[in-house]
Amino acid sequence: MPANSPPLALPAASVVEYPIHIQRGGLSMREHLKACMQAVLEGDGERAEQLAKLTLERKLPLLEVIDGGFVAGIREVGRLWEEGALFLPELVMGAEAMKMAMVILQPALEASGGKQEKAGHVVIGTIEGDIHDIGKTLVATMLSANGFGITDLGADVPAARFVDEAEKKGAGCIAVSALLTTTMPGQRKVIEELKKRSLRGKVRVMVGGAPCSEKWAEDIGADGYAGDAVSAVALAKKFMA
Amino acid sequence: MSKDFMEYIRRGPVLFDGGMGSMLIAAGLGDKEVPEQWNFIHPEIMIEIHTAYLEAGAEVIQTNTFGATAIKLAASEGGRGLDPSAVNEKAAELAREALRLFSDGQGAVENAMPRFVAGDIGPVGEFFPPMGKLTAERARAAFREQAVALNRGGVDLFLIETMYDLREAVEALRAVREVSNKPVIVELTMDLKPKGYFTLVGDTVSKAVEVLIPGGADVIGANCTIASEAMAGLVPEFRRHTRAPLLFQPNAGRPEISGGVAVYRQRPEEFAADLAKILDAGADCVGGCCGTTPEFISAARRMIDARGLGK
Repeated sequence: MPANSPPLALPAASVVEYPIHIQRGGLSMREHLKACMQAVLEGDGERAEQLAKLTLERKLPLLEVIDGGFVAGIREVGRLWEEGALFLPELVMGAEAMKMAMVILQPALEASGGKQEKAGHVVIGTIEGDIHDIGKTLVATMLSANGFGITDLGADVPAARFVDEAEKKGAGCIAVSALLTTTMPGQRKVIEELKKRSLRGKVRVMVGGAPCSEKWAEDIGADGYAGDAVSAVALAKKFMA
Repeated sequence: MSKDFMEYIRRGPVLFDGGMGSMLIAAGLGDKEVPEQWNFIHPEIMIEIHTAYLEAGAEVIQTNTFGATAIKLAASEGGRGLDPSAVNEKAAELAREALRLFSDGQGAVENAMPRFVAGDIGPVGEFFPPMGKLTAERARAAFREQAVALNRGGVDLFLIETMYDLREAVEALRAVREVSNKPVIVELTMDLKPKGYFTLVGDTVSKAVEVLIPGGADVIGANCTIASEAMAGLVPEFRRHTRAPLLFQPNAGRPEISGGVAVYRQRPEEFAADLAKILDAGADCVGGCCGTTPEFISAARRMIDARGLGK
């Protein structure tokens, strides 16, 4: 194979004509929300950012745009993922687009006094001895895109640190990832640590990672198991409801 | 020997070996160790494992080099101290040595099956964009270094496996093709989704065929992720798109965690029965992945021998 063969393209997302009048701000609220949703759905971060800026310029109601536009988009991405119509790259790009919009909107939201009602705070990390963090980061991104406050401790995190951070942040949920059968027992340690500090009643624990399962979650006394980023969001919402 | 492999697989089903990781864990691989270290620390155990698979009736054994690219080794404490070239060459030599000892021990058996050493190449462990920052150049350089060393160690063929992103599979294939004319097998790892079989990033079988065959793959197929039963359903999907030889290496069912360790509950006979379905559906080569042991390969050998196809 020649060395200069072009790299493979990602699966092509459906190309939707970008309405020129977005530039001029001539969209109705309904059209604006639809454009926001579409930007996330197509994983178009630049457009999401542009629409977020436009939201501020036009002084549109922030919470309405976030919920009815960007969050609606990420919800649709999640639905299509579950249906098997979208894959990891689209999921990541959707979440990234959402994040880019939120970076613009967040300060305005806080400045306006109407501090965004967070869905809750989640402390997340990969357990000690385990350096796999791609899945964990994806879960963190999706949680953040869905309005959760996130403390991402990274990989190779000792059980006690999860609990320290949860205590500090007043988190309602700890999410522990383990990708190895040899590091999975560390997930149990997090639960034991919570019990030791009498915090088990206040903090819910979800586990994830390739070797985990519903049964494993049950065995170690976790509150739930999430097999992917989308179900992690659903589980966190259930915890915080 | 190498050319023979492509002729040999046309004569009837060829049996590959089974899992390596679970064998090493059973032999005492430590939490902070990577399997590749054992090529140096416990060469005698590596030879034992290869021998067990040869005795079980595997015609192809795979080197203990799944994670032996510079990128993957550098990502773990255990792998960091290893020289990628040295570990690949050593692993290939150990598989060759196991094969030599086995053949010597067999003596002059009439109609002895030919046996082959496959240089095993797995993913580098980083993602291409948008999930990660892996570049084609970096991936290919790591694969090239691995392929050169495996070749020097004397492998008969190359087995690129467990690829979840076709872009990475292509870089590995290009790298091998840059350094060797020996046969190359490329196995993707696919999951059964509501709309069919896909890799993690959404690659389809038709896309894989379209890219891998012109790219110089001699055999293609799939391994890992799905159990033997689901794998049987994937074979016709490959057959529909290509007449190229096909290899499938399923897991021994889905793992269950018991007492903190992964347990594969499937019985060797059930596994072998599914391999028979995989052959019926048009595969040319079969073997095992996670959770399979010499017992599973032995059951598969009995199944293949009982079919009495050409061999």
